[in-house]
Amino acid sequence: MQNTVACYKWVADEADIRVHPDLSVDLSRAAGRISEYDKHAIELAVQLAGNSGGQAVGLTFGAEPVRKSLKDALSRGLDEALWIKAPEQATVDAVVTARALAAGVKSLDGVGVIVCAEGSGDSYARQTAPRLAALLGLPVVTSVCEATFVDGVLRATRRLEDSLETVAVALPVVVAVLPQINRPAIPGLKAVMAAGRKPVTEKTAEELGVDLAPKSEITSMKGFAQARKNVLVESVADLVAALKKEGIV
Amino acid sequence: MTGIFVYSDQVSLACELAGFGKSAGAETHVVTTDEAAATELKSCGADVVHVLRGGDNPPPEAFAGAIAELLKGAAAELFLVGATVRGRELAASVAGLLDWGMASDVSGLSYSGGTLAIERLVYGGAVVQRETLPAPAVATVPAGLCEPANGSATVEIADVVPDSRVQVVGTEPIVRQGTSLAEAERIVSVGMGFNQREDLSLAEDLAAALGAEVGCSRGVAEEREWLPADRYIGISGLSVKPQLYLAVGLSGQVQHVVGIRETKVVVAVNKDEKAPIFKVCDYGIVGDLYTVLPQLTQAFN
Repeated sequence: MQNTVACYKWVADEADIRVHPDLSVDLSRAAGRISEYDKHAIELAVQLAGNSGGQAVGLTFGAEPVRKSLKDALSRGLDEALWIKAPEQATVDAVVTARALAAGVKSLDGVGVIVCAEGSGDSYARQTAPRLAALLGLPVVTSVCEATFVDGVLRATRRLEDSLETVAVALPVVVAVLPQINRPAIPGLKAVMAAGRKPVTEKTAEELGVDLAPKSEITSMKGFAQARKNVLVESVADLVAALKKEGIV
Repeated sequence: MTGIFVYSDQVSLACELAGFGKSAGAETHVVTTDEAAATELKSCGADVVHVLRGGDNPPPEAFAGAIAELLKGAAAELFLVGATVRGRELAASVAGLLDWGMASDVSGLSYSGGTLAIERLVYGGAVVQRETLPAPAVATVPAGLCEPANGSATVEIADVVPDSRVQVVGTEPIVRQGTSLAEAERIVSVGMGFNQREDLSLAEDLAAALGAEVGCSRGVAEEREWLPADRYIGISGLSVKPQLYLAVGLSGQVQHVVGIRETKVVVAVNKDEKAPIFKVCDYGIVGDLYTVLPQLTQAFN
């Protein structure tokens, strides 16, 4: 039996981000949600645990607002959740996140596969899986678009720039998956109801001895200005005329 | 601390990064796991080329441990890695092993006084974030940000033991149909506004009339599977830089439009006047694509 872990991140919904005319960024009205990419990681962890008769554990790190993610995560088929709680106002970066997740994994038994998404919806830095593997002393396979597990061996197809590379690696292993890996099911009412009864373990970063000192500092955030004309034309003829004037057609 | 170390599985990108090291006035070291590449890497501005070899032709990622040892032993101040799939994994593995900070896929960087200052896109490209990282630190850097230089480096060859846990058992090229979208001059891009797969012929007809390629949003490729995954444009897909990008029935979420920012002229056709695509286009038509597309095709034929 192999237990699986799905790491997921609670992120601000980018659709709610407001960029003011002076390009200042307002995240205060952005609702939180589980990063879309992480839903694929959860789906894979659930499927693998089901195949091997193990438990699928959702693992997340963050301050109090992350509490809202637990029921959603559990409704996606996970058996239990482990929340590593960060202190309020803590400034975390990829270094701190990987330390916390590694401490979380170490507190679990019989883990065969740790699944992360290739990147998160907010930062898409693609650091978590390799960092986590390095901290746990495990091998890592990133950019995975297909994965099968047979007899304790992962066979994964990685999407590189110009080729697909198939690798084999014995468990335990950390994998980072691309959205192509699967299609996460939308939780039904029954799954949502059941989620409320599933076990959640809360541990603070301090009690796990996580070093919370980050290595990078965000000095500014500015809306990206795409200088476009934003001209609405009334007819196809007007559009064709405008494109001719631009020298495009 | 002394020295900027660089690595890329693409030789031209490794040369660009070496050029950055030289322009920053640091002793510059290029690391390679490909002995044959050393000749070319010797002459692009680095002081030393380190060839790491070992194992039975392992992938570069297998050298993360050996590279971490090399950086630690040399008290390196920066490790700059070309932002490819292999490079990103290797860079973050090294950063994890050394407990260094790392900036991923930077869109700008500078280094002085022991501080790396970078700029990168977050939230699907809607926001430009600036960060500072004290050395030692790692960054992944895409092609085209730094200039290669000239010079002559000494070559040091070291036999190391690569990680053999991940074994490559097969590789096949990705076969792309048609011209590469990334190179296309004109693109007609389809979104979720199409009712059924057959209706994409409307976009194909327009593309044929314009001599354009057909691209799409992530939803069209991955949720509906109407077009292959290598046709979708956006943060987790392709970045394109055509003269003309014609977005049809495509809402224009930030994750998508980050992939079209290098476009000269963006045109949007959408029946929803509130669609975000109208804020990032040059010309827009509020209208039903089922009416507008045949008219456009006729106009260009």
